[in-house]
Amino acid sequence: MDPKQMPTFEACSSMSSQSRNLNQNQRATEFDARETEQSLPKFSSHLDNSFHQSNQAQQVAMNWDPRAVLNSLDILGQKIHQIQDIVRSTLSNERQLSIQPNEFAAQQQLINTDLTCTIIELISTAGALLPLIKNALASGINSPGQIGGVANSASDLDLVDVLRQNDNLLSDGTKDSEYEELIKGLSDWDDEGMKPISTEDIDVKDNEDGVSGENLPLGSYEVLQLEKEEILAPHTHFCAICGKGFKRDANLRMHMRGHGDEYKSPSALAKPSKEGSSEPVPIKRYSCPFIGCKRNKEHKNFQPLKTILCVKNHYKRSHCDKSYTCRRCNSKKFSVMADLKTHEKHCGSNKWLCSCGTTFSRKDKLFGHIALFQGHTPALSMDEVKSQGMSVQGQSDEVMAKEEDIDYLISGNVIEDTNFSGLKGADDDLGYFSSMNFDSFTFGGIDGLQQPSFDTSESLFSFHK
Amino acid sequence: MERAQQQSSDSILATLSVDLLIQILDFVADPRDRKSWRQVCRGFLHAEALRRRSLRVLRREALQGLLRRYAACLERLDLSACPSLDDHALAAALAAGAGLWRLRSINLSRASGVGWRGLAALAKACPHLEAVDLSHCVGVGDREAAALATAAGLRDLWLDKCLGLTDVGLAKVAVGCPALEMLGIKWCLEISDIGIELLAKKCQNLRVLDISYLKITNRSLQFVSSLGKLEDLSMVGCSHIDDEGLQFLNNGSNSLQSVDVSRCENVTSSGLISVIEGHKYLQNLNIGDCFPELAPLFLSKLNDLRDSLTVLKLDGFQVFAPSLKIIGLNCRNLVEIGLSKCKWVTDEGVSELVAGCVNLMTIDLTCCHLLTNKALVAIGDKCKNLTCLQLESCKLITDKGLDCIGTCCSNLEEIDLTDCTMTNAAMKYLSRCSELMVLKLGLCDKISDEGLVHIASNCKKLRVLDLYRCFEVTDDGLAAIATGCKRIKNLNLCYCTRITDLGLKHLSCLEDLHDLELRGVHCITSLGITAIANGCQHLTELDLKHCHLVDDAGLFALGQYTKNLRQANLSYCQVSSMGLCNLLGSLKCLQDVKLVHLTQVPVEGFESALRASGGRLKKLKLLTGLRHLLSPGLIQMLQDRGCRIRWVDKPLNLVP
Repeated sequence: MDPKQMPTFEACSSMSSQSRNLNQNQRATEFDARETEQSLPKFSSHLDNSFHQSNQAQQVAMNWDPRAVLNSLDILGQKIHQIQDIVRSTLSNERQLSIQPNEFAAQQQLINTDLTCTIIELISTAGALLPLIKNALASGINSPGQIGGVANSASDLDLVDVLRQNDNLLSDGTKDSEYEELIKGLSDWDDEGMKPISTEDIDVKDNEDGVSGENLPLGSYEVLQLEKEEILAPHTHFCAICGKGFKRDANLRMHMRGHGDEYKSPSALAKPSKEGSSEPVPIKRYSCPFIGCKRNKEHKNFQPLKTILCVKNHYKRSHCDKSYTCRRCNSKKFSVMADLKTHEKHCGSNKWLCSCGTTFSRKDKLFGHIALFQGHTPALSMDEVKSQGMSVQGQSDEVMAKEEDIDYLISGNVIEDTNFSGLKGADDDLGYFSSMNFDSFTFGGIDGLQQPSFDTSESLFSFHK
Repeated sequence: MERAQQQSSDSILATLSVDLLIQILDFVADPRDRKSWRQVCRGFLHAEALRRRSLRVLRREALQGLLRRYAACLERLDLSACPSLDDHALAAALAAGAGLWRLRSINLSRASGVGWRGLAALAKACPHLEAVDLSHCVGVGDREAAALATAAGLRDLWLDKCLGLTDVGLAKVAVGCPALEMLGIKWCLEISDIGIELLAKKCQNLRVLDISYLKITNRSLQFVSSLGKLEDLSMVGCSHIDDEGLQFLNNGSNSLQSVDVSRCENVTSSGLISVIEGHKYLQNLNIGDCFPELAPLFLSKLNDLRDSLTVLKLDGFQVFAPSLKIIGLNCRNLVEIGLSKCKWVTDEGVSELVAGCVNLMTIDLTCCHLLTNKALVAIGDKCKNLTCLQLESCKLITDKGLDCIGTCCSNLEEIDLTDCTMTNAAMKYLSRCSELMVLKLGLCDKISDEGLVHIASNCKKLRVLDLYRCFEVTDDGLAAIATGCKRIKNLNLCYCTRITDLGLKHLSCLEDLHDLELRGVHCITSLGITAIANGCQHLTELDLKHCHLVDDAGLFALGQYTKNLRQANLSYCQVSSMGLCNLLGSLKCLQDVKLVHLTQVPVEGFESALRASGGRLKKLKLLTGLRHLLSPGLIQMLQDRGCRIRWVDKPLNLVP
């Protein structure tokens, strides 16, 4: 993609809820009134320009009915004016502090409905003549109800380069040319078979796997790298006034109410919704600060991380100590608390045990594991070994008492017996497959093969989760 | 004579080296002659030990000594008939054998006392073990499979009806024995798709696979179809498998030679068509009892297999004459056809069939009620190589039909005429078949001594004779059989009520007799039994149910002479505790005994007799009433040693 387009994208992405400020100093500089004031006019100019843009496209594609389009555009214009009026009245009401909460909610509902209608109409109008930028237009319309969100997230803008680009944008007056570039960029995207960002499914939960299948061409996204301290910082949202840190921005917003009435406005309290950021956002990917890691941008086969959450989980899982130990089995360790909690949910119910010591809660998972690794076999459950061992032993003792002249316990059985007693001893403290006992677990001479599987512990973990 | 040889043995052995002795030994084929050879002297015994490759052990006591002697050269060991074999005995014997370096195959079928310790010892002692048969060891489970899996070179493994075996045990075997070529897991009901999937992934060399009666679905077949070397696939009674599963087999690997999908209720013609399309060299196709009617498309598809198909079994279908005609036209190389219990099989159909398939050797027409002599004439006309003909319950067939068979099919070895209206004339015709080995005449109540005289006159090779409920047969007929057919092995005389002790005396000269059924022959006494015991020392199975006159004397004789007796049914006999104790105590091979309604035997008698059996029994049938009268310790002991007790509740009915 042409780097020149970047500013345009940045302008639209200022509402990105993904971007989180991690650095207090940066945030202090960003959080200034200029940004909040700027976002409103910027928005309206954006709207105008999207119409302008469709008019431009009219000249390109001639197989359409101009009169019908003009007609629908007129209607749309009227509608947007109506909505603007409603929003304005809301704002003025708010200043007078006379509005009831439910009344406000009703108004918000009204605006939302109106906007939805407008968007749909606009899509149907534009869709016929501009299939290429249909998605962009659909996402290009922003609801005034979300303006608060825009302001909010603008204040959240985190990274220096984004700021710089925003500054460039503001000084740049020639918006028409920008939009030409936008359209061109979009069509470029389509040529590359890329998904428009608005439909991109952001997998907040996890994780590295999600990215590896993405195969974004190098340079088609922006690589950001957080420092180790930022990644490991317990709080990611900080109060601009008192400096208190929070894990969630919602908590921060709640906290901000205490700093004055201006933070109590519905727009300030509203969640910076993701739909609000549905304008084309530049693809942002993250690099792990650990040099030599595959997720580090210096790596030859660099595979970027998708979200900041991914960065955090990846960094903790791969480059940090596993400090959380399962309190049930006392053997499994995790570096991410969520992983421990997931494990603890199933710990103890893992009755399917492989000879390598890995446990599974489902038989088919164990068998899949066995099919994958050479030499691994399912281990027989302890109860079974115990009961059978006991009965057979008792029986053979009885026989031996009768016929003493035969040395029955040939070496193979002795080995089994010692194993058996060792396991029995370890059984009490739930640690029968702890690393201490692996050596005595000789199921069919696979000792040599066990070791490699442990080296790839990362893949094993993801395997049995 | 032996003594004379022993005295001059020095001189003989001076000239005959061991290798020369071995060469001479190669000409001694009969097992009884070999036994005489062994008894000559130590040198002969040693030569025989060096030559022996296979061994079947009948007594546990002898096992250790035998293995010590034969260990060096033994390749095949059969312990299936060895009573009260347990881990201890097996491990001790293997230790005595001191490394059976050449042992490749061991048969432990029905050795219910063997557990994982014994098998672990076996796998350790026999490094070149390739084949293990553990079928019908119902106690075998995952632990045993794990022990077996340490024998990494295993190629053949039969685990039929090992009820404790689950996916885990199968996985052990699959991982431990990757060279597996033959595997039978019939009736291992715990095994599921997951196990089969892993098996198919790990054991790519499988050639023969028996997954009959498993609760597996189409998913299993998907993985089984990935076995590129699979030749023989049996999946009898897999009711969860349907056409969709069979379609997986149509993957162009062409490896299968034999497919058995009989009793798979959900399989239809279309599934079979995909099997035929996928495997062009199919030789053996068994689709009995799957679906009622043969689709024309399937029949025409058989044309694809015209060169290869040799065995086709269609039991239980509705087979009309046109269908048989198409089969006759399409499958010219057919050697065996099974039409058992098929409806609408007519003379016309059979004629059309044999007109095309002239190479047929085995024809099963059991319960094809519409057949008449015409069909037999057609068969006799066309199938000159016929060896086996099953005609049970073909009631319209008469003596005349057999005239043609007897004349034309001189190679006939086996014929089943149970429940046909045959007379002595038919026996006259059949007596022309000098190769006859199996003759079943059950319920042919018109057959009398005259017919048996005909048979005895020419059928010298007869091995199996079934005279169930042939009331007319008397002692004279048996005398003829005993003189004419010396090699009879199985003889069924149930309910031939005119037979007396004299007839049994005639039979006592049948040295090969293994299996004698005398159920309901109520005239015989201990005298006849004594004669049999004296003469037929190889007897392994004896049925004396409802022989009310047999008493302790008969049992004493049996206990003394028939040392190989393995199965005995003594229900309703007038035996006492003494006889029973003696019998169970002295017969070291007895494994299966039925003791229902022994009115003369008190509870204490049963108690001491069963204790005397010393845990050798594997199957026992007793009255339910005894269940709570016998001491729990005894029952527990029997069951621990692998004995299955069947408790029956029958009223005492003295008249059969």
